[in-house]
Amino acid sequence: MAAKLRAPGLLRAGVLTLVGIAFAAILDLTVRAATNAEPLVNGEAITLVALLAAPFFFLGGLGAFDEWLYWASGKPSRPEDHSGHGATSWKDYFRVNTDHKVIGVQYVVTSFFFMLVGGLLAMLVRAELAAPGAQFVDPNTYNGLFSVHASLMIFLFIIPVFAGMANYVLPLMIGAPDMAFPRLNALSFWMLPIAGVMMTLSFFAPGGSFATGWTAYAPLSTEVPMGQMFFTIGVQFAGASSIATALNFLVTIITMRAPGMSFWRMPLLVWANFATSLLVVIATPFVAASQLFVLLDYALGFNFFNVERGGDVLMYQHVFWFYSHPAVYIMMLPGFGIISEVLAVKSRKPIFGYRMMAFSLLAIVLLGFTVWAHHMFVSGMQPWIRVPMMITTAIIAVPTGIKIFSWLATIWRGVLHLDTPMLWSLGFITMFVLGGISGVMLAIIPIDIHVSDTYFVVAHIHYVLYGGSVFTIFAGIYYWFPKMTGRMFDERLGKVHFWMTFVSFNLTFAPMHLIGVQGMPRRVADYTEQFAGWNMFISLASFLLGLSTLVFVYNVVASWRGGTRAEANPWRAMTLEWQVSSPPPIFNFDAVPTVVGGPYEYGVPGAVHGVFRPAGQPDPHAKEPAGASARADAAGATHHGGTET
Amino acid sequence: MEAAAVPIGHGHGHAHGHDAPGHDHHGHEHHGPPPANKSSRVDAPMLGMLLFIISEVMVFGAFFTAYFFIRIVQGQEWPAEGDHLPKLIAGINTLILVSSSFTLHWAEVSIKENNRRGLQAGIASTFLLGATFLFIQINEYVNIGFAPQDHAQGTIFYGLTGLHGAHVLIGLLALLTVTIRAFRGHFSAHDHRGIEIPGIYWHFVDVMWIVVYLTVYII
Ligand code: HEM
Ligand SMILES: [Cu+2]
Repeated sequence: MAAKLRAPGLLRAGVLTLVGIAFAAILDLTVRAATNAEPLVNGEAITLVALLAAPFFFLGGLGAFDEWLYWASGKPSRPEDHSGHGATSWKDYFRVNTDHKVIGVQYVVTSFFFMLVGGLLAMLVRAELAAPGAQFVDPNTYNGLFSVHASLMIFLFIIPVFAGMANYVLPLMIGAPDMAFPRLNALSFWMLPIAGVMMTLSFFAPGGSFATGWTAYAPLSTEVPMGQMFFTIGVQFAGASSIATALNFLVTIITMRAPGMSFWRMPLLVWANFATSLLVVIATPFVAASQLFVLLDYALGFNFFNVERGGDVLMYQHVFWFYSHPAVYIMMLPGFGIISEVLAVKSRKPIFGYRMMAFSLLAIVLLGFTVWAHHMFVSGMQPWIRVPMMITTAIIAVPTGIKIFSWLATIWRGVLHLDTPMLWSLGFITMFVLGGISGVMLAIIPIDIHVSDTYFVVAHIHYVLYGGSVFTIFAGIYYWFPKMTGRMFDERLGKVHFWMTFVSFNLTFAPMHLIGVQGMPRRVADYTEQFAGWNMFISLASFLLGLSTLVFVYNVVASWRGGTRAEANPWRAMTLEWQVSSPPPIFNFDAVPTVVGGPYEYGVPGAVHGVFRPAGQPDPHAKEPAGASARADAAGATHHGGTET
Repeated sequence: MEAAAVPIGHGHGHAHGHDAPGHDHHGHEHHGPPPANKSSRVDAPMLGMLLFIISEVMVFGAFFTAYFFIRIVQGQEWPAEGDHLPKLIAGINTLILVSSSFTLHWAEVSIKENNRRGLQAGIASTFLLGATFLFIQINEYVNIGFAPQDHAQGTIFYGLTGLHGAHVLIGLLALLTVTIRAFRGHFSAHDHRGIEIPGIYWHFVDVMWIVVYLTVYII
């Protein structure tokens, strides 16, 4: 028992979490006693300190810091025996694992868990809105429902699930044995469940969960019950996790590409994560700071947002949106990358305008920092800021449009394989275009003033985030499912999932444009009779949408356990992750491959992306000449494409 | 066509490219990853530290945004009426912190020449100078006569200097580990990355202080 307790793992983490809470209590009591604060025992203060301290104890208990502490204290750090690497049983997914593939799976599964929690909350929101008047929750609980829903979906699902998928495939794609900093990678993952559990547990806080929306505008957020702090502090952990991962991606991409993998030979998924990571490293500190301001105002009585003492409430919105507009691209660019992979493979054609695709990603990164105040047209900020922001917002639609047209040109006259990943990709293009159109409408000042805080905005964000981001996530999950699990998913169920989602998604969110323009307010538990019909319709459709997700869950669980074994390269793709077994060997490659051509040369005779021996150096083990396997594979793809055209 | 699937390692027990350097293998063979290709001349930990510093700069950026809104957009007087900022003491403190950057540099140069004494003296004095800075800063808080709860100016003052102080603290912890390791005989003319990387962070903390000092105390 004692030995078990000393070994890093969940048990030690649990015990140390309790120690952390006790530590917080003692610390708090000591400080209060020293400063003669009344009352001496203040449950809220203790909870607050515990929220900040206990996670570090948890991580320490898990063993996230062990090696670093050895290093720092000058002890000989244990020789790296790679015992932290790989997974042989499910238990290996519940410890600090340094294998990027294990971490990728940990990320994806965790984010889908919180997606289901967030989805359940959405179902409750729709149940409450099914008819005017109060159904089963009071207005404050209702505010809590949609706030936690949005926060989980954004900070615990969309952002991390992309990080998870990229964690799995990105090192493989660039021919790296792992990420640059495997231990930091593990730490990034483990901060995630902390944030998610914290936000979810806020429902048990005195006064209910945080109820300010995911935007947590001050001074509302500094004057509400303690549940708010579960968001404020949770965001710090989610944010730190994303910054650490982004840093890791950037360093990996810059320093660990295979020989011959120049920037202009990188798959677009890698480009997309490169761009996203730049955004994260630069923008995410702003949301951390905005919540730190709230924390200081709330807990220590600072005056960042206290107008009576000279604070400035608009400053919150500026700082928040300076992160959160780039954040919408953090939630979209990795999806762009996924779509580029899937469309090229499933149309058997090279990406149209590869370089423009990469440049437009970088253009979005730059322009993304110049539009934040389009969220603040009605905030009472200086009116002169509006028009420049409207113009920059319209401009940012240009690089986005370039991508859309490049995708269309890619599939144009291709040999389309309309299987599940492809359906999701095509669905994404249509839905995202609709979301982009309502976005450009919102950028036009008079329209925005009219529909501000109405269901029109709700429709917009769901078309871009659900029809946009989530569709790309499904495309990516289906596309890499064989690689990640070594099993094929059930294609028929995948199609059922797509069509059910596609139809019920539109039934749910399209009418919201209409009632939004007519003036139905967002974030309010009640509405007038006038909107009753549509809301009942929307609620029923949304339940169908909820059910469609269960089809996905069933498909994934059943296929993972008993699906047919996947081949190494079921899609006949050229990128490197498909040139190793499914799932890949523990260290990805026996020897790092050499890249000799672009990643998307489908249908180009003789084109090769990567070979498994340094060019010109014969492989002593192989019977065939160097690179024959990869070449044969590409040739097979060419041949196949040829027969079908 | 999955002939491309490559069999995994043959137990060569060869190089471990991707993690902390300097492992010994106790002679036994074990299976490890292939060495990663180095696709850039920049060192991975160094690049990581630079990116981390970029995001740190952005945190300061958010705090400066708050400062900007209070002082410029709202036009509040600075410092608040009746308050006084100890420019001189803070100026001396600035000199102390800046000189710690030089002692750090001395430590780095020393170890490159395999001068362990120089390393130890340099790194220890850097640590002490940093600790002195923090001590004077705390002393200033005690005596300055206003609190962050009093007014927005106080909030911004404590916010910026406190954020910086927190970074000094983190930097001191990093320097402490370097100091411990220096006295335990780690580092050599060829192996000094463990000093350089925390070193860059410390230089960043110094430069940041100059910006904070100029904006908060001087202009
Ligand atoms: C052409 C592209 C886009 C344009 C022009 C655009 C424009 C806008 C504008 C002007 C608003 C403010 C509406 C208001 O609050 O009154 C808005 C809100 C929003 N947009 Fe977009 N958008 C675009 C794409 C996206 C994308 C790709 C995403 C995410 C993947 C996204 C997510 C959101 C979200 C979450 C909000 C609501 C924020 C809130 O809670 O208040 N948008 N958009
Ligand atoms: Cu925006």
